[in-house]
Amino acid sequence: MNAGPADTRSPHLDLEDLIAEVTGQGIDARAREHLARCEHCRAEANRWDLVADGVRGLTAATPEAAPPDRPRHAGLRAWAGPRRRTMLAASAAAALVLFGGAAYLSTAALTGHQPGAVLTAVSGCTALEQASGTLEQVNGSSMVIKTASGQPLTVTTTASTTVGVSGMLAGGLPDGTPVSVAGPRLNGTIAAVVVTIRAPFGVQMPPAFVIVRGTVSDASAAGFTVVTPGGTRVPVITSSGTVVNEFQVSLDQLPAGAAIAAVGHAGPDGTLQATIAMALLPRPSSGPQLHVQFNGTARGCSPASLAAGVLAAAFVPGG
Amino acid sequence: MDDPHGNAGARTFTARRDGGGDDVGLLRRIGQGDESAMAAFYHEHGRVVLGQVLLVAGERALAEEIVQDTMLAVWRGAGSFRGQSSVRSWVIAIARRQTRDRLRARRLRVVDDAFLADQPTPGPGPEVTALDRAELAEVTSAIRELAPAHREVLGLVFGCGLSLPEVAGVLEVPVGTVKSRLTAGRTALARVLDEKGQNR
Repeated sequence: MNAGPADTRSPHLDLEDLIAEVTGQGIDARAREHLARCEHCRAEANRWDLVADGVRGLTAATPEAAPPDRPRHAGLRAWAGPRRRTMLAASAAAALVLFGGAAYLSTAALTGHQPGAVLTAVSGCTALEQASGTLEQVNGSSMVIKTASGQPLTVTTTASTTVGVSGMLAGGLPDGTPVSVAGPRLNGTIAAVVVTIRAPFGVQMPPAFVIVRGTVSDASAAGFTVVTPGGTRVPVITSSGTVVNEFQVSLDQLPAGAAIAAVGHAGPDGTLQATIAMALLPRPSSGPQLHVQFNGTARGCSPASLAAGVLAAAFVPGG
Repeated sequence: MDDPHGNAGARTFTARRDGGGDDVGLLRRIGQGDESAMAAFYHEHGRVVLGQVLLVAGERALAEEIVQDTMLAVWRGAGSFRGQSSVRSWVIAIARRQTRDRLRARRLRVVDDAFLADQPTPGPGPEVTALDRAELAEVTSAIRELAPAHREVLGLVFGCGLSLPEVAGVLEVPVGTVKSRLTAGRTALARVLDEKGQNR
């Protein structure tokens, strides 16, 4: 930040602070305080946020490279096999646009789940495994879930694992929360059906929905206002049917006992190295079914089979 | 303020990668010829590297070849990693060199770094209006039309999640130049958006 006692430069946040804010690297208290009260800097942060979302949208939509039929280099031959598997797993991550639709998973959609199995293959994609259960404990970057068969399963994560929480909106959202709100337009407002925080992938919404993105302001029990990057204020109404999907959370922030659905590849000693791990908290019993759309395909692993696999992994106790 | 999930602090989670302690261990194992470590490394970094290379090269087939060459370089050179940068920025730097070599070999002209670096850092001007009015889909589309060097710096910061000093290390320029290039990239983006808006 530029504003210091002897600083004659601009009183506003410098670019490094703005970028740190937008990329979630954190800024110091003085910079944060300035950001909270400076309209100019908030507008700048919103502009950078829009640029960042644009870049992320491009890179997140990048499917994995298809594995070569034969290694082009002798040096690749040694690990061509494992690489194929990991690429397929990563493709599943790229494909998880259905995360926004996770709130609408119904038990009827989960017929692929196989009671008794700890890890089950994703149908049509032998490289991927899936598991579901309830969260028992978190140990650093891994967690132990209790599967339907009663067996414990260790799910490991890395920095690239997408971890999220989906559940009902239980209260207000903090001012400044970056959100994407989707729902039908209603008398100049949006009746929020889905509120997504830090979505790593795009979600295809029903045609009747409008989507607005920005930051939360003026939150109350009845809703909040979304302030778009351009400064437009859009009133949003929330209800007991509003679902919140929050991504980029850490494992230790998942509530114990939560239903966990995870997809990834089999690790050593029967573990699951998760590409995706989602905590599914109690949710509205009904809602529109979102269309599942994949950004990429992997050889021998069709989008439909991946969708079925992930859906099968995502069970919802109690609906 | 209430927390919808009862897990206060979730929204303060940083999207930024950590220091990559596991990554260093992976590189050590790769250096010892551990194939599973190489697979894990690809799982960890492959998609980000491909995204960045594709952002710069703009051509899928070429980007895939560059990523293969990059991973081959990692396989061969993992033992040379000295921990003077994060593993993510190290592999991105390798990918960048591979990209430049390929683009030079194909005689594709890229925006001259020095030219970009010398551009003054413009403050907020009329072009911010275009950015303020833009929707995300328009921004995403407009980024594709930027010069490679602009796409590159934006991708390194927002796609790869590197800090500005890390980006400076990858680009081999001072941090100040990274800032100038970022701002120039955003200005160029706003101009593209403005042009698109006027043509609508």
